[in-house]
This record gives sequence, C-alpha cells and structure tokens, in this order.
Amino acid sequence: MAYAYLFKYIIIGDTGVGKSCLLLQFTDKRFQPVHDLTIGVEFGARMITIDGKQIKLQIWDTAGQESFRSITRSYYRGAAGALLVYDITRRDTFNHLTTWLEDARQHSNSNMVIMLIGNKSDLESRREVKKEEGEAFAREHGLIFMETSAKTASNVEEAFINTAKEIYEKIQEGVFDINNEANGIKIGPQHAATNSTLSGGQGGQQAGGGCC
Amino acid sequence: MDAEDTRRNPDGKGFLTAENGSVFIPHAPDPLHGVCVSSTSGSVTGSVTSTVCGEDEQNSLESQDSGIPTLELSSPEVTTEPRSIEPLVQKHRDAPATLKLEAVDEGGASSQVRGGASVYRDSVSVCSTSSLSTDFSATLSLGNDDVTGDFVVTSDSSAVVDFHDFSDFSHFPQATPTNTAHGDHPQQHHNEAVARKESPIVNFFNRKLFRKDSPRQIQRVLKENEKAGGSASPKQSVRKHLEFEPLSTTALILEHRPANLPAKPAEEAQKHKQQYEEMVAQAKKREMKEAQKRRRQLEERVRLEESIGNAAHTWSQEILPNWNSMRSSKRVRDLWWQGIPPSVRGRVWSLAIGNELNITHELYDICLARAKEKWSASPPSISATENDAGDAGLSHADREASLELIKLDISRTFPSLCIFQQGGPYHDVLHSILGAYTCYRPDVGYVQGMSFIAAVLILNMNTADAFIAFANLLNKPCQMAFYRVDHSLMLTYFAAFEVFFEENLPKLFAHFKSNSLTPDIYLIDWIFTLYSKSLPLDVACRVWDVFCRDGEEFLFRTALGILRFYGDVLTHMDFIHMAQFLTRLPEQISTHTQSHTLFSCIGSINMSCRNRTWTQVLQALQKDPEHSSPVLKH
Repeated sequence: MAYAYLFKYIIIGDTGVGKSCLLLQFTDKRFQPVHDLTIGVEFGARMITIDGKQIKLQIWDTAGQESFRSITRSYYRGAAGALLVYDITRRDTFNHLTTWLEDARQHSNSNMVIMLIGNKSDLESRREVKKEEGEAFAREHGLIFMETSAKTASNVEEAFINTAKEIYEKIQEGVFDINNEANGIKIGPQHAATNSTLSGGQGGQQAGGGCC
Repeated sequence: MDAEDTRRNPDGKGFLTAENGSVFIPHAPDPLHGVCVSSTSGSVTGSVTSTVCGEDEQNSLESQDSGIPTLELSSPEVTTEPRSIEPLVQKHRDAPATLKLEAVDEGGASSQVRGGASVYRDSVSVCSTSSLSTDFSATLSLGNDDVTGDFVVTSDSSAVVDFHDFSDFSHFPQATPTNTAHGDHPQQHHNEAVARKESPIVNFFNRKLFRKDSPRQIQRVLKENEKAGGSASPKQSVRKHLEFEPLSTTALILEHRPANLPAKPAEEAQKHKQQYEEMVAQAKKREMKEAQKRRRQLEERVRLEESIGNAAHTWSQEILPNWNSMRSSKRVRDLWWQGIPPSVRGRVWSLAIGNELNITHELYDICLARAKEKWSASPPSISATENDAGDAGLSHADREASLELIKLDISRTFPSLCIFQQGGPYHDVLHSILGAYTCYRPDVGYVQGMSFIAAVLILNMNTADAFIAFANLLNKPCQMAFYRVDHSLMLTYFAAFEVFFEENLPKLFAHFKSNSLTPDIYLIDWIFTLYSKSLPLDVACRVWDVFCRDGEEFLFRTALGILRFYGDVLTHMDFIHMAQFLTRLPEQISTHTQSHTLFSCIGSINMSCRNRTWTQVLQALQKDPEHSSPVLKH
C-alpha cells in the first residue's frame, strides 16, 4: 500500500466489447477467450509508476447491458478515469458511444479523464469501425484514443498508463483537488505523512500483497 | 462421450455423473453423489471382471509411471503387469523351480518386459518393476530373511532392487527367452495371454491376488478417479470390504552382498538386519496410518452415499407422492435442509416453485415458435425505425438486440462446463428457453444473469419444465425487482439486508461501513444468478434447494452466511481486496466439509431482528424509503 496516489477507474461500454478481458490482461497479463459474464461490477487493482511515483489503480469493471445502466451510473462517482470501450468488429458498439459518454459526463466528476478504446484490434479481417472514425470521435469529444487488443496485449498497458499520466498531469496542474476524494484520487499513506512513515508504508505493502 | 471421458472431465467440478457407464447429465451437480460412489464401483467392477475373466480387455490393471496400478476402463491396450508379477515373486522361495517357470510363463504372460537386451537383466527387471510399483515387494524382501546382505534405499517410499546375487535366479534362464519374445511382440504376447486364460494356475494366482489386494485397488483407483474428477455409479455390496492390512514395507529390500565380494562379518550383518527391520517397521507404521486415513475418508464417503441413497428413496417414495400434506412437516423440512438428492431435485424444485402463471407445455411451444420466427425473420441489422413497443419501454431494436445478446451470452454461461457453448449438448436448449421467455415477457426481455438461472434449471429438468420453472421463478417479487432493475426496490432489499447484517455480524458490518463497501457491490451478482456463478455449482444447488423451501429470505441469509464463513479473512482486508474477494469468491468450498461449514454458517444466521421477520423489515422499509441504503442514490 505504499502508494503516492490511488486512482479510481471505471471501465464502461457495451456488453461483449472486452472490458473484463482488458482488465484481466492489465492486471494478470493473460487472456481468457471465453470470459465469464460480468453481472453488476467486478474489480481489479494494480500498481504502476509514473514520474517515479507509485500509483495504485483501483479499477471498477462494470456490466455492459443496457438494463444495468442505472446500476452502473452509481459507480461513476469518485472515478478519476474512465475507459470507454467499443468493439471494432461491431459497429453498434461504436454507435452507442454517445449515450455512454452522456452518462459518464452526467454522473461523474467533470475532470474525469476519459480514454476511448477500440478493442479487438487483432481481428483486422472483421473490422467494422475504421481507426480514423475512432480518432475523429475522440477528437470531437475531447477524449484520448487508442486501439487495443486484450488478446495480444497490444496497447493494453499503454491505455491504462496513459490515462493515469493524464490524471497525474491534471494533479500537477492543480486541476484536481486531491483532498476531495469525490475526485477519485486518494493520497497514499506514504505521501500524506511525508517522510516520517517510510517504514510504515513498507509494512503496509506487505499486508496489501498480490496485485498491488 | 464415453464413461472414461466423463470421468476425466477436466473442469473438475465433479459434475457429469456417469451411471452404468453412460453419461447422465441432467441430474448434475452433487459431488457427494458423484465422485465417490462411482469410482468405487468402477474400480470394483473392473477388478471383479478382470479376476473372473483373467485377461479381460475392457478392464485391466495398468502400471503407470507413478508405479501405481490403476484401472483403465475401456482401454484397448492391456497390461496386467502387477497382477501377473506377484505370483512370480510370491512363489519365489518355496515353490519348485518348475512352478516358477510356469509362473513367469503363465502368470507373467502379460507382464510388460519390453525388449530387454540382457536375458538375465530382464528377469531381474520384472522383479524390480514389481517392487517399485506395487506392494508385493514385501513378499520378496521378507522372503529373504534367512539371508543377510546389503540393502539399498533410494527414497523414503521406495527402494531399488538390485540383485547382485543372481544365484537365486539360476532357474530363470529358461523362462527368459519367452519373456523377451513377448516383449518384442506385445500383440502376440497379449493374444497368447488371452489364449491361456483357462490355465488353472493363472486363475489361482489371479484369485489370490485379487482377494488380497482388493481394498488397496479400490483406494488407489478411487484416488485416481478423484484426480480425474470423475464419477460412475454405486455398487454397495463391494464397498463394505474396507479392511486393510499393510502389504509391504514400501519396497524396502534387504539384499545379499554380491557373490564376488567377501561376505560381511556376522556382527555387521546382524546390525544391518536390525536396521533393516526397524526401517520396515517404521514404513509399515506409516503405511498403516495413511491407510487408516484413506479408509476413514472412504468410509465417510460411503456413509454419505448411503445417506443420499436413503434420502433419494424417502423423497421419491414417501414425500413426493404426498407432497401437499408433507412439504411443511418438520421432518421434510429437516431433510430438505440437508440438500435434495440430485435424482429428485428437479421434481422437488418444480413442485416448490409451483406454476402460478399456469404455463403449459403448449404455451412454451408457442413462445418458442414465435422466438424462432423472429430469429429467422429479422437479420441482426439495425431497423430501429419501426417502433411498436412503446408501452413495454423497450424499442423493437432493443428486443432484436436482446436476441443477439442471448447468443453472445450463452457462450459465456458456465464456460468451464463446456456444455452450453456453441456445439455443446445444451446450447440450443438454453437458447430456446431464453428466446421463448423474451416472447413470453417482452416487457422484461432478456437480462444478463438469466442464462445462469435457465442453465441450472436445464441441468435438473426437461426443457419445457425448465421453462415453466424459469418463468415462475423470475416472477417472484425479489427476482422481478432485480431483473426489471427496479432501482428503488433493489435499494430496499439492500437496506433490509443491512439490517440483518448489522444484527448478525456487527463487527464485520462496521468494518464494511468504514471501508465504504456497500452491499450492491457483491449482492447484485449473487442475487441475479442465485449464487450459481459465485459458488461451486453443487453448493449453489444446495442453496437453491433451501431457496425453494424458504423463498427470497434465504438468498440474503446465504449472503450473510458467506460473510460469516469468510469473516476472519475479510476483517483484514481493505476495500479493494474485499470487493475483489466477494465478487470472485475462492473456489475452495468444494469439499463436503467446507460446504458443510458454510451451511452451518448460513444456519447460524438469525433471520429475525428485534422480533421482526425478513418480510416485516422489508415491508417497513418499503413504506419508509428514506431509510434505504444510501448506496446507489444520486
């Protein structure tokens, strides 16, 4: 738990676009061709390093079906970053981006960094959405954009880390009020108590174990 | 799929139940029933057959790398190595040389001596194999107790036999050519073996061996089957035979010093003999202990099987015929709590869920036909212009999308079982039920999570009955609230849950509160799928059993039981670890003991809070929504 900051992420997008697979690839570095259905919300966590600082990502992976939107909405609260995912082989998942974006903007902090992700880039032969279209959508709505493949791990790391970098920059710029946890950012125990708790922080890391 | 495939089903859930060698899926998930019963009978049947027939092709003992003879059902390649070797070893000392030759030739006919170059070594290797891989080495080594010599121990559980002193085997050379020939032509060798199966000597040895070895065989094969997660069907008569006596020293062997070396002084020889005996005694003690442990496990399983068998009889002969009068009796309720035997589970569920909606098989056919019409009529492309479903709150396009979604989700339903996926035996059935339901209740449509409920029902009853149970189950107030995602009602359920959470587990409740871990995070998945996704399937079915008896209240009681079960772990976790843990419970509640503990935890949850029942608490909260959980509010 010896992190400088903790960022809360939320992964959103239509069902079956590969949200859980992206998370699994990011946290466990593996791919499961047939992933379980996500009902409600699932979680992942991983430590990354930006600018020499340990940052813990706490990731909320949500159910994609339309019916669950009202549940998902409550999970935006306190998210510093969102990964909005569509499937490049299914145009309808791209067409639904606008409603997802509306939802996200309406229920989250206005400073939340949104990364648009066109997933399944390994399935080039079945592509229905051009990369340029994704780029255009992102430009138009002020999002960062990337095409990824949870299967080959292409750009997965980058997608999560670039989002964190953007959030980190916003903190440096003073856009985020880091003392307000509603912004989805928590200051780590190590950072908060400056230099006195280095050993305490390390002890905490032991207890934290595993993924973080 | 044949019996063996079933036995080796890699998903390890002990889920497919083979009965009499044929796959029998519908009454799936109950390992209590499955694993033990079957493996025992499998092994026993196998052993019996091989004893009687001598060289039965279908059931043979086979020595594997591990050296543990196992029973291979339907294995075309036959090797009866350990069995055939023992006679050789046993008769080694006191039988006349001619008999030994016979033993090698007859009893050892099918032993695998694979093309040894040295004639002498070949004979020896037969012995070595046997001593390393079976229990019979004891006979060999103890048979030598009139001799003093060196002994070689390579590990604590097995020793190498290395005959430096070949004098004992001076009678073997005659036999070896036969052996070598057999080794070179295994097929021919096997045929000969079959041809000789009438030999009285072979029969004698086989019988003797079987009698002596059977409990071990059962246990070994049982162990093998456990590993394979397999199952077959019971045969109680043989299972009673559980006595065990240690047969070996785990292959410790006291050897002569080679003839070309000077003999040991008597004192040293005596010392070695003493050491040897100590080791043998220790090994025996250890083996005895292990055997007792195995026997206890086996007995436990036998006991369980029997109780399940008895329960199944009681259910089908006494309770089901008098359902209405007996269902509420204390005796039935107690029996119910213990879990419904898989063979009657579907019928009990059907009766308990009931059919308030009066759905007939014909109605199911109509709904299914309509669903099929839609699948074939409308391609999955978007034609959102047509809009005649305003009142239902779902557009036409949404409904079409839900048909597409069903397809997508079926493959994501119990993927590890590999029976609902495209090409799997239950893919179409699951598709049909979900499709028919979207036509039966277009206002609800397909909601993720339903596929798990339908799947569990399909595993326990026929398609039309599963549909009836499915529709009626979803029509219950709690399920309707969740599947229609009636947010405020869901909040009320969570709030009621928290009331009982605080009452039953105050410390854990406070810990959850301080970490802002709200019940929706874990309850949504649990309630939507009725635990079928989060608990091992057999445990989930037991939850379903009592849910059918007690209604929605039991779902929340189960949740509290799970929290109590894992309470110690959870109290040491922070938010993210708890959230991860609860949304992906460990798969460890697989043994009977653990599921028993879980059910005691559930049983210990008190579902009355300050003299109010679950229903009363829920109703009070519904009247006063301000007391709802702050979660999910905006």
